[in-house]
Amino acid sequence: MKSLRRDLSSNPQASNVASKVFVRSTKSGKVQKIVRELYLRQDIPCSSKLCSLCPSIAPSDANGNIAPFVLSDRPAGTKAFPRGHYLVPDTNALLNGMDLFEHTGAFYDVIILQTVLEELRNQSLPLYNRLLSLIKTDEKRFYLFFNEFRLETHVRRGPEESINDRNDRAVRAVASWYEEHLGASAKKGKKEKSVPAIVVITDDKGSIKKAKAEKVTALSLSDYVSGLEDSEKLLDMISEAREARDSKGPIGQLFYPEYLSMSKMMTGLRAGNLHQGTFNVSPYNYLEASVKVPAFNRPLLILGRDNSNRAISGDMVVIEVLPQDQWKSPSTKIVDEEAVTRNDNPDSEETEAVVSQNERKALQEEVKKAHGKNAEGKPQPTARVVGMIKRGWRQYVGHVDAGSTGSQAASGRRQQTVFVLPMDKKVPKIRVRTRQAGDLIGQRILVTIDTWDRDSRYPTGHFIRSLGELETKGAETEALLLEYDVQYKPFPKSVLDCLPSEGHDWKVPVSKEDKGWNGRRDLRDLLICSIDPPGCQDIDDALHARKLPNGNFEVGVHIADVSHFVKPNNAMDLEASVRGTTVYLVDKRIDMLPHLLGTDLCSLKPYVERYAFSVLWEVTPNAEIVKSDFTKSVIRSREAFSYERAQLRIDDPSQTDELTESMRNLLKFSKILRQKRYDAGALNLASPEVRIEADSDEVGDPLTDVKTKAMLDTNSLVEEFMLLANITVASKVFDSFSQTALLRRHATPPPQNFEDLINQLSKKRGMELDVSSSGALASSLDRCVDPENPFFNTLVRILATRCMTSAEYFCAGAHAEPEFRHYGLASPIYTHFTSPIRRYADLLVHRQLASAIGYEGEDGHAVIEGVNTRGKLEDICRNINFRHRNAQFAGRASIEYYVGQALKARGEKMAAGGTDSGIDEEGYVMRVFENGVVVFVPRFGIEGVVRLEDFVLPGEAGSRSVSERRELAVHRTTHFDPEEYTLRVEEKGHSEKERGVDVELFQRVKVNVSSVKEEGRGAGKRRVRILITG
Amino acid sequence: MSNQRQASSASQTPHLSPAELSYLYTSLSLPKSPIRPDGRSPTQFRPLTAESNILPGTNGSARIGFADGTQAIVGVKAEVEKTVLSTDTLASGEGGESTAATSGHGSWVQMSIEIPGFRDDDALPVFLSEMMRESLVGAVVEGGDGGGDVMMAGGLKGRLVINKRWHWRLYIDVLLLSQPLSYPLPLLSLTTHLALLSTKLPKLKSQGEEDPFFDDDWEVAEYLYPRGSKLKATSGLASQYVRPPVTLLVVSVGENVIFDPSREEIAVADAVLAISVTRDTEAGNLKLLSIRTIDPPSRLTQPAVPNSENVNMLGATAPTEDIAVLNPATGEEEVPGVWRPRRGGVKRSVIANMIKTVLKKGGVGEEVLEGLEGVEVE
Repeated sequence: MKSLRRDLSSNPQASNVASKVFVRSTKSGKVQKIVRELYLRQDIPCSSKLCSLCPSIAPSDANGNIAPFVLSDRPAGTKAFPRGHYLVPDTNALLNGMDLFEHTGAFYDVIILQTVLEELRNQSLPLYNRLLSLIKTDEKRFYLFFNEFRLETHVRRGPEESINDRNDRAVRAVASWYEEHLGASAKKGKKEKSVPAIVVITDDKGSIKKAKAEKVTALSLSDYVSGLEDSEKLLDMISEAREARDSKGPIGQLFYPEYLSMSKMMTGLRAGNLHQGTFNVSPYNYLEASVKVPAFNRPLLILGRDNSNRAISGDMVVIEVLPQDQWKSPSTKIVDEEAVTRNDNPDSEETEAVVSQNERKALQEEVKKAHGKNAEGKPQPTARVVGMIKRGWRQYVGHVDAGSTGSQAASGRRQQTVFVLPMDKKVPKIRVRTRQAGDLIGQRILVTIDTWDRDSRYPTGHFIRSLGELETKGAETEALLLEYDVQYKPFPKSVLDCLPSEGHDWKVPVSKEDKGWNGRRDLRDLLICSIDPPGCQDIDDALHARKLPNGNFEVGVHIADVSHFVKPNNAMDLEASVRGTTVYLVDKRIDMLPHLLGTDLCSLKPYVERYAFSVLWEVTPNAEIVKSDFTKSVIRSREAFSYERAQLRIDDPSQTDELTESMRNLLKFSKILRQKRYDAGALNLASPEVRIEADSDEVGDPLTDVKTKAMLDTNSLVEEFMLLANITVASKVFDSFSQTALLRRHATPPPQNFEDLINQLSKKRGMELDVSSSGALASSLDRCVDPENPFFNTLVRILATRCMTSAEYFCAGAHAEPEFRHYGLASPIYTHFTSPIRRYADLLVHRQLASAIGYEGEDGHAVIEGVNTRGKLEDICRNINFRHRNAQFAGRASIEYYVGQALKARGEKMAAGGTDSGIDEEGYVMRVFENGVVVFVPRFGIEGVVRLEDFVLPGEAGSRSVSERRELAVHRTTHFDPEEYTLRVEEKGHSEKERGVDVELFQRVKVNVSSVKEEGRGAGKRRVRILITG
Repeated sequence: MSNQRQASSASQTPHLSPAELSYLYTSLSLPKSPIRPDGRSPTQFRPLTAESNILPGTNGSARIGFADGTQAIVGVKAEVEKTVLSTDTLASGEGGESTAATSGHGSWVQMSIEIPGFRDDDALPVFLSEMMRESLVGAVVEGGDGGGDVMMAGGLKGRLVINKRWHWRLYIDVLLLSQPLSYPLPLLSLTTHLALLSTKLPKLKSQGEEDPFFDDDWEVAEYLYPRGSKLKATSGLASQYVRPPVTLLVVSVGENVIFDPSREEIAVADAVLAISVTRDTEAGNLKLLSIRTIDPPSRLTQPAVPNSENVNMLGATAPTEDIAVLNPATGEEEVPGVWRPRRGGVKRSVIANMIKTVLKKGGVGEEVLEGLEGVEVE
C-alpha cells in the first residue's frame, strides 16, 4: 500500500502564518484545545528614535499619524555600556525586581516583550498591572514590543522544547534582531551615531550561557544593578524569592506543611470537604484568625501558626475543618506579636521552631479556657489552612525593629537580615535583607513580601523605599495613604487636560440660546442656600422651600452638576473611578476630582450661578409627597451657611426674611420626615466620631481642637433631605434601568452577629436586644438607657453598629429586589446621589438619572451616558466599595494619629513644666480579656487596650515610666470571669480586697490618657497609653 | 436515488449489463490469477494520499484521498465528562465498584458519519458508524499477558478512564467529501485509524481520584494510542504496537480473495466481508476483532438468460454450448458466460483463506498498518 503525504513546503505563505496552541480548562471542568493563528507582519516598529527605517513602515492611524517613538536616541550609559543601552528584561527579572524597574534613578529605555508581558500576567497579576502602568507613563520610556507578531522575531517552538526555553529564546532573538536592525539603520543613515547596546536581563543561568553563545549581551539582574550608581540601595530592592530558593540548596527543617495542589483543592472544594475564604486575623490576637465561608453562618476559627500555615491577613485560602476534639473557643486574651516574639533573631533559622515556647504557652491557656464549662466559651469549630488560592500581599508600611539589627548595625555596609514590623498589627514581621540597616532605623519604610517558604518562620520580603523619619507629619501621612491604598499622586496632565479651558473664569453662559442651557431649567430666582460644616469648600448640595399657591410647598434639593464637567470615559472620569472617593484626613484632603472642579466650578458657591441637578418635590404641609420631579438646572445660591450659623438664624425670631422662612419650613419638614423614618424602623446608629478643627492657633492646647461632633437640628435638616433625594432618585433610576441601576444596600445582619452583645447586655444590665427587625432593634436600643451613665446608650449603639454588615454599592441586576433593602435606613431602595464631587457612585447615578429623564446633553446626542453594561458596573462597584471603606479607615487612623500627636505635644509642654501626668478622662470598658480590657474614651473617640501593667492599683503611684510599669506585669495576677465579664487585677500574693482593681464590661472608669514612647525593641514607636486609675 | 438511500449494503450497483457482469466475474474468478479491471494484484490496494493533523482545532485528525477521487476527513475531539454511576452500583454499596468506572464504557466513543446525499439517520451511515465503533471499543487488551502497554489496558475504553469519577468522551466525526463511488467503508476506516493515531489528550496533572486538572501546554499532551519508546522506533521495530483497529473490505469471487475491491468488483462478488483487525501485542501479531458480512449487491442484479432458454435464440446455437457447469466456489450449476445473480453463501475454505491472507505475517493486514504508519503523524 502506498501513501503519499501532501507537501506544504512549496507554499510561500506558510512562513507568515504561525499558530499558538494551548489547553484551556474552563470553570465548568471542560478542557479545550485552543488554537490561535498568528499572521506575522513586518510593520511593527522598533520604536527607537535612532532608527531611520521604522518611521516609514510603521502603521499609521486614520489621520496618517504614527505612534510616537518611545526609546530615546541618547539612552543612558553605564560603566559597562558607555555608548548607552536598551534593556530587554526577561520575565524572571521583572518578577524579582519590579520595584527596581519602577525606580526613578535607573532603568530607562526598556523594551518589554509581548512574550514577557503575557508570561508575567500568568505568574502575577499585580505585577502585570504595575508593568502596564509603567508602559503607559512616558517618563520611563518603556516600549511594549509585539515580538510575537513580527516575522523576524517570532520564534517557533522547537520539538521537545519547553515553553520556558522557547520564551527565553524569543527574548534573545529580539535582542539580536534589535542589534542588527539598529546597526543596519545606522549604516543606512550614514550617521555616525553610536548604536546602543542591547542588554538582556535574565536571572536564568542557562539563558545567560546560551546568550553568550549567541553573542547576545545578557546579565543577571543583580550583576546589572551592581554596575549602576547607588547600587547598594538598588540591590536591596531585588526580590528575595528567587535568591532564597537558589542559595539555600537543601531545604532545612520544614516548619509548615505543604499546600495542596490546585487540583486537590478543587476536588475538595467541589466535594464540600474544603472551604474557601479570606483569611482574617484578629486585631487583638495575632495567633487567631477567622475565615468566613459560605457553608457556615459563623466564621471558622484558625488558631496558631501551625494551622494558619503561612497565611497572611487578606489572603484567599482553602481551609479544612479540624476534628471536634480540636475545637476551641475564641481567645479571651490579648496577644501581641511584638511581646511574644521579642527575642527572635532574624538570622538564625536553625534553632527556631515554628511555634515558640512562649507561643505554645499562650495557646495552651486558651485551650484550657475552651474546656471550661461556661456557655459562651463553648468550643467553636476550628480549621486549618491547607491551600492558597490567591495571596493578598501588598506593600506594607513599617519600621525596622531596632532590636533585630545586631550590634554592628551602624558599622558597615554589610548585608544583614532585619525584621520589619508592619504598621498593620495583623501582618507578621517581615524578614528583610538590607545593606542599609543602620540608615533605616527610625524611618518609616515601605516593604513588600516576596515569599514565605516552608522552612521559614516569617515571610521574607524586600525593602522598597523610605518614607522619612518616624513620626514626621509627611512620613506618617504618606504611610497612612499607602496603608489604605489611597491614590495620592497629583493628577496627571491627561486628567487636567479634561478641565474646561476657561479655568476659574468659567461661567454659566449668559445667553439662554447657548448650548449649555439645553434641557436646563432656570431656577436662578429661587431662594436657595447651602448648609455645610464650617470651612467647607466643596459644596455638593443646596436647598430651598417655597409655598405654592395651592397651599402645598415646593421643596428642592440641588446637587452640583458634576456630570456636566466629567464626561464618561475620558481620562478624568477614569481617574475618578479609580480613586472612587475623596479622602478626608485631619489636615489633608485627597480629592477625587481636580481642585478646579471640586472647589470652584462644580461647588455650589453662594452668589454665583452654577449648573445643578435638581430634585423638586411638591409636599403637603404634613410633608406628604405629592409628586417629584428631576431636572438639570441653573441656580444661584443666596448664602452658604455653616450648621451653627444656620441654626442661629433660624432660632433668631427677629429674622423674618424669606430665606430664613424657607429654612424654617425646611426644618419643619425635616423633623416630620425624620419621625416618619424612625416610625418605619430606621436605626439611629452611632460611631465614635470626633472632629478635629486644626485651624486654631499654635499657642493653645492642641487638645482643644479635638471636638466630639455636635448634632444640631440643621445637621439633620440637611441629612433628611439628602436621604429623601437619594431614595427618590434610587427608585427613578431603578425604574429606567432595572439591570444596571447603581444602588446602595445594607444587608440585614444575621442574628448570630448580635449573640455576644445580647448575652453581654442581659448578663450585665438585664437588658434585652430584639434583633428581629431594624425597627425592633431601634426601639430596643432606645430602651438601653442607664440613668447614671448617659453615655451608655451611645456605647451600646457603637457596639451594635459593629455587629452589622457594612453597606455596599451594587448594580441592580446583581440582587433580587427584596435584597435592595437598606437595613439601617429602613428604606426599600437607596442610592447615593447627593455628593458627586466627592463620591464616584453619585457621579454615575447622575448620569443614569440624566439618561432616565431624557436629558440630551449639550450637543443633543448624549442620551445614554456612562456605564451601561452590568459587568463593567460590577467592577466599578467592587472598586468603590473598597475605596469607600479604605477612605473611612484612613480618616479614622488620621484622627487617631492626630490625637496621639496632640497628646504628645501637650505632654512635652507639661514636661517642660515639670511633670508629664497625662490627661484624666472618663472611659468605658468595651471588652474584657483575660489579661486586659479595651477601653473607649469618648472625649477623643479612641479605644485602646489596657494591659495588666497599666492598671493603677490602690496605693500605687500613678505616673511611672513605661519601663517601670512593664516590670509590674510579671508581679500581677488576674481573675477573669468570662461569664460575668469581670476582671480582677491584683498584686501577686496580695489578694486582699482593697489591694486589687475590679473592672467589668460597660463600666465607667477613670483613665489617664497620655502618649508614650515605646522603649526597648519598639523604640521610635509611639502609642496612646491609657492607665486605669479607678 | 430513493432505493440507494435505503441501501444498507454495498448495493450501489453500477449499471452493468448481465454480459458485462458475467465477463467481470469470469476474469476475477480465474483460478489463482484473477484479472482485475484495473490490473491490480488481488491484495494490492489502490494508491492513496494521506495526511494527519489537518484540523488544528481537533485533538487529532486525518484526511485520506483515494485515486478515484473519493476523500474523507476525520476529526477526533475529546471532552472530559463525569462518570455517572448506575443506580444498581450505588445500591450495591462499597464493594460493587462500577465496572464502567474502572474499565470504561462503549458509549464513551461516539461516531458520526456524514455522507453527501444521505441523512444522518439513513441506514448506510448508521450501519457504517456502528460497524466501525464496534471494533474500536471492542478491542480489549488483556492486561495480564504482560506484553500489553499499561496505559492501554482495557483497550480504548480503558484508556478513556481518567479516574473512578471522570472519563474522556471521544467524538469521532467522519466526513466523506465525495459521492460514495465505491463502498466507503475502507476509506472511512483507514482515515479514522489515522486520525486516532494522531489524537492527543491533554496531560493529566492531578493524581488519583482528584478532579482532573490538566497541563495547559499542548506540546506535552499524550497520544491516545501511546507511542513506544524511541529505542524501538530506531531499531526498526514497530514504534507503536497498540494500534486502533482497521476494517478491511474483502470480497470473494469464485475461489479468489480480492482486497480493496472497486465498485465493479463488488458488483459481482460472491460474498462481501468487513474484517476488523488490530495489533495489540508487542510481538506484532495481528488480532482478528470481527467479521461482518455485507449484503452483496450481486444478489440484486438482473440475471442473463442462457441461449438455450432464450426463445429468440431458439435453434441458433448448438445445445452443447451452454451446458451447466458446477461452480466450485458456490456449488451451484451455472452456464459459463451467462450471468446469474449470486445467491450468497460462501465456502468455509474461502473464508479461512481470507482471514489467513489478512492475519499472516507479512500479510495484507500488516501491510496496511505499516503503510499507515508511514504517514508521518505530526
